[in-house]
Amino acid sequence: MHRNRLLLLAAAVAAAVIVVVVLIAVGAGKDSKQTVTGSSPRSTHAQLFNGVAQHGATLGSPAAPATLTVFEDPQCPFCREWNENALASVIVDFVRPGKLKLVYRGVNIIGPNSEQGLRAIYAAAQQNRLWNVVEALYDRQGAENSGWITNSVIRAAAAAAGANGDAILAASSSPSVTAQLRAAAREASAIGLPGTPTFIVQRPLSKPQRLNAPLDASGFESALAAALR
Amino acid sequence: MNLRPAIAAAAVAGGGIAAYLTYVHYAHVAPVCTTGGCEKVQTSSYAELGGVPVALLGLLAYVAVLATTAVRGVAAAFAGAVLGLVGVAFSGYLLWAQLDPIGAICQWCLGNDVVISVVAVLCVGRMLTEPGPE
Repeated sequence: MHRNRLLLLAAAVAAAVIVVVVLIAVGAGKDSKQTVTGSSPRSTHAQLFNGVAQHGATLGSPAAPATLTVFEDPQCPFCREWNENALASVIVDFVRPGKLKLVYRGVNIIGPNSEQGLRAIYAAAQQNRLWNVVEALYDRQGAENSGWITNSVIRAAAAAAGANGDAILAASSSPSVTAQLRAAAREASAIGLPGTPTFIVQRPLSKPQRLNAPLDASGFESALAAALR
Repeated sequence: MNLRPAIAAAAVAGGGIAAYLTYVHYAHVAPVCTTGGCEKVQTSSYAELGGVPVALLGLLAYVAVLATTAVRGVAAAFAGAVLGLVGVAFSGYLLWAQLDPIGAICQWCLGNDVVISVVAVLCVGRMLTEPGPE
């Protein structure tokens, strides 16, 4: 073998090492999007739901004195933003201590694909995994009305949420799911839902009131704490 | 010995894996998986490089390797060898990521690791034996 070829091999190895070091230094595993590792938002959310009571659309103790009703559309990017940024803090500071329970109200305000997602979400309520599936769908959220909510996505979200995807799809068109969708739509209509997400706080012996709050954790918690006083 | 057909075949195989994972990424669907960790790996931060899916980068690399097999000469062989070695090194980094930070194994990634290793060996072999001026 000629010495020149061995030098060429050394050059190729050196070039490869340089390229890979640069690739690793600038990117892979370091972006700011959600990750499934470490203390990422996604894994934190998964841990947050563990040990928190779920009954149908309600997250938290049924005996909690106050209720936060959350109107969301699975295609809504601001709903996703709230789920990613504020939900964890609300669960830790209000739901786990038994001060508050959350009630999900899924409404279709964006397009037909939302209904497919909402049906899956309400079907997951039958397995007491509604909030987990909502979160898992937001993890996979695509552009509005791009048709991203497919059976495959629902199955993947269900798997990530620890739910039975086949059972969810089978129950999606059931009368009980349809009834929950209609009930949520009626409730939204009754309050004149301006958009999603919309938050309604109800304290004991008080009328429900709309919570206007920023979607970040500290801003939302401050507004929520004030509303609960 | 003419290694170019073997390199081309391996590049097509690797390109097929990369193309499937690229489709999975953009279609927001879960990959077919028997190891149970494919989706976890595919949705981790290691699955993108500067916002670009690593599967797409892999696909482009395999296309580039394939292109080098269409050209005779030491320069093309050298380019193929660099691509193959970069692929092996980066695949090694991603294998470490699967084993440690992510904690899940993706069968498609393992398949790619095997293919890119074959591509790298063949490309280095070609570079060392390709006829040309010395």
